[in-house]
Amino acid sequence: MDFNLPADDDPRRLEVRKWLEAHPNVTYEELAQKGYTVPHWPAPWGLSADPETQLIIEQEIKRAGITHPHTLNPIGVNQCGQSLLVYGTEEMQQKFLPPALACRDIWCMLFSEPSSGSDLGGLRTSARLEGDHYIINGQKIWNSNAHISQVGVVIARTDPTVPKHRGLTVFLIDMKDPGVEVRPILDMSGHAPEFNEVFLTDVRVPVSNRLGEEGQGWRIVLEQLQTERMGMVKPGAVWGFGPTARELVSGLIETRKINDPLVRDEAAKLYVEGELLRLLADRNLSNRINGNPPGLEANLGKMIASPHGQRLSDLAKRTEGIAGMLRDEDELPLPKQDYGLFNSWDYCYWFGPAGTIGIGTTEILKNTVAERILGLPRDIDPSAKLPFSEIGRPQLAA
Amino acid sequence: MNFTLSEEHIALRDNARAFLSKEVRLDPYLKPEANEQPVARDGLWDEIRKLGWTGIVIPEAYGGLGLTYIDLVMIVGETGRTLAPSALFGTLAGAWAVERCGSEEQKQSLLPQVAAGELSLALAVADPNGDVNGLSHGATASKAGDGWTISGEKSFVVEAADADKIVVMVDVEGTPGFFIVDAKAQGLAMERLDWRDITRHVSRISFKDVPAERLPQADGDSWSWIRDRLYLILAAESAAGAEQVLDDAVAYAKERIAFGRPIGSYQSIKHDLAEVAGGNECATAGVQYAAWALSEGTADASKAAAIAQSYASEQYRAATACNIQVFGAIGFTWEMRNHLYYKRARANAELLGTPRDQREQIMRILESEHKHAA
Repeated sequence: MDFNLPADDDPRRLEVRKWLEAHPNVTYEELAQKGYTVPHWPAPWGLSADPETQLIIEQEIKRAGITHPHTLNPIGVNQCGQSLLVYGTEEMQQKFLPPALACRDIWCMLFSEPSSGSDLGGLRTSARLEGDHYIINGQKIWNSNAHISQVGVVIARTDPTVPKHRGLTVFLIDMKDPGVEVRPILDMSGHAPEFNEVFLTDVRVPVSNRLGEEGQGWRIVLEQLQTERMGMVKPGAVWGFGPTARELVSGLIETRKINDPLVRDEAAKLYVEGELLRLLADRNLSNRINGNPPGLEANLGKMIASPHGQRLSDLAKRTEGIAGMLRDEDELPLPKQDYGLFNSWDYCYWFGPAGTIGIGTTEILKNTVAERILGLPRDIDPSAKLPFSEIGRPQLAA
Repeated sequence: MNFTLSEEHIALRDNARAFLSKEVRLDPYLKPEANEQPVARDGLWDEIRKLGWTGIVIPEAYGGLGLTYIDLVMIVGETGRTLAPSALFGTLAGAWAVERCGSEEQKQSLLPQVAAGELSLALAVADPNGDVNGLSHGATASKAGDGWTISGEKSFVVEAADADKIVVMVDVEGTPGFFIVDAKAQGLAMERLDWRDITRHVSRISFKDVPAERLPQADGDSWSWIRDRLYLILAAESAAGAEQVLDDAVAYAKERIAFGRPIGSYQSIKHDLAEVAGGNECATAGVQYAAWALSEGTADASKAAAIAQSYASEQYRAATACNIQVFGAIGFTWEMRNHLYYKRARANAELLGTPRDQREQIMRILESEHKHAA
């Protein structure tokens, strides 16, 4: 056990730093070609780097003031892109990965549906094989980035005659297909829309854009969600991102609100929790270093991290008093740094309720922890074993 | 960098677990008589001393194994998981006081005996009013000729009954000073307290002109140095105890049928247990980090120890409360071991100050860091 991070003069670090300094106006294309976008992937995409080297490269990209490709194109570079390494054909990899890693093609996930959120397996979007194309029909919702995406990762039902989780298949679709209609959803934060609904009408997808085999869809999206949740095991205010308890405490000290004994102890509790979340994230990273595949710890981590984030912005907002009701104004000072999308306590607070809903509600995560980690009995789902077409609910979209 | 346990650490933990699961007997504590009369100690402490656990972190120069605090928490955690009734806590505490405050000669003479399992110690810190900062004058040291004597009272002393010698913290001119006395010395009287957590011996000690040997290297930082290590082992006990009560509750929830189904199939139970599992992961992570930080002597070691103790003790309380709730009424009876854990959890959250006290320590560190950064 050794919590020391790779040192500032680590030769691996110096090499990366030297290259980045020699390329002051580096493009995402060049970054990808160098293997720095996904260093942990095998060649030709990455360097087969161990997670320690991956961490170094990530830190150096940040140090150089570059927005990391996985911030710009998280689904393509992180959550879904790597599924192509496992389930994609050579042809598919060559077609989709270079533009994704170069951030020319932004990707989005098209998973949830209006009637299938937590029970994602009950989704109704259909994919029907006609010759060498699938025809996809249905409606997706809560799709981040869909309005700026070129590629959509869709899960659809290819076989309604088998139980719901078995008849699902994943496809990569062209978001510019005339059958794809994207409508932004204004969420309660009132900020520029983060989510969309996506209508799919007779979208034609070549068979070669199918990821994996028919029926493998459930497994693939579970892995992708696991990867996504792993990235949320962090102490930030929304899904692990944004300011943490460290910045909260700093603002409270600055304004002397920390001298209120109740605020003080609550802030200290949040600080303690935040530091422990950092340790869970570190440990997850080490599990990767040690060659253990990402597993259920992401569910447990997100189960803790998301409510923690809500409590952070809640305390921040409460200490602002009535002034906290003014739109977009932070009364509590936030130390200057790059927080990404969630860059004010105000936005974190009003966006906050999404934290324990999106990417697995806390209730679903608790079920997963209880059933898969503690080994408690599975919830009763009367629809789980029936052929999908016999479940008493509205039929497939035409 | 590697934030996970090595195979050696896991082997150490598993060996300790195997030994303790065989040797620790809690049945005598679950008989109604245990409510009336203290349970006599069995041979466990002798066995533990034979295994050399008292010398794990004593430096090799003083006859110990000189292992790290990570190794130590692997073992102490298991004593917490099983509530192993022994004098290990007191002996480790006393040995740290000697290591930090003793003269070279004292260390050479005392620590090898501790490491060899020949000398059991206890550390008397708290005053009868519960203050653990050593400055409220429960007992005082006075010069007597070439030496010192101690008079007054100390209380809440863990495992003093099994100790051969007791290290006593008293105020010497505004600074906590440390003295060592013979447990059998003239003028020393020990009274066993009717302590709720019956798997631990806790005593009040009165001193009347008891001859004492000063540990001369004590300074203003000695107590926090010792206390950080005590935080660590209490937190290690708590984190592993919390795992045990979760395991027990999960096993019971799979077995117990109500309304035709195991109660563990109801979300109300599952979700409570999942939450305990989450908190337990955090508690364990905090303990392991603090153990590493103290081993390395990092700048944040003290903060890490306070984080571990404040969180693990509260998590232990939450886990034991949930454990009894899941068991229902049977978990509330004396004959079940659930209450032993519940009481240990309560005690661990009070013994060295409350979790809120530790958070105040953390906050002061943060304020001072903030000031230096500005």
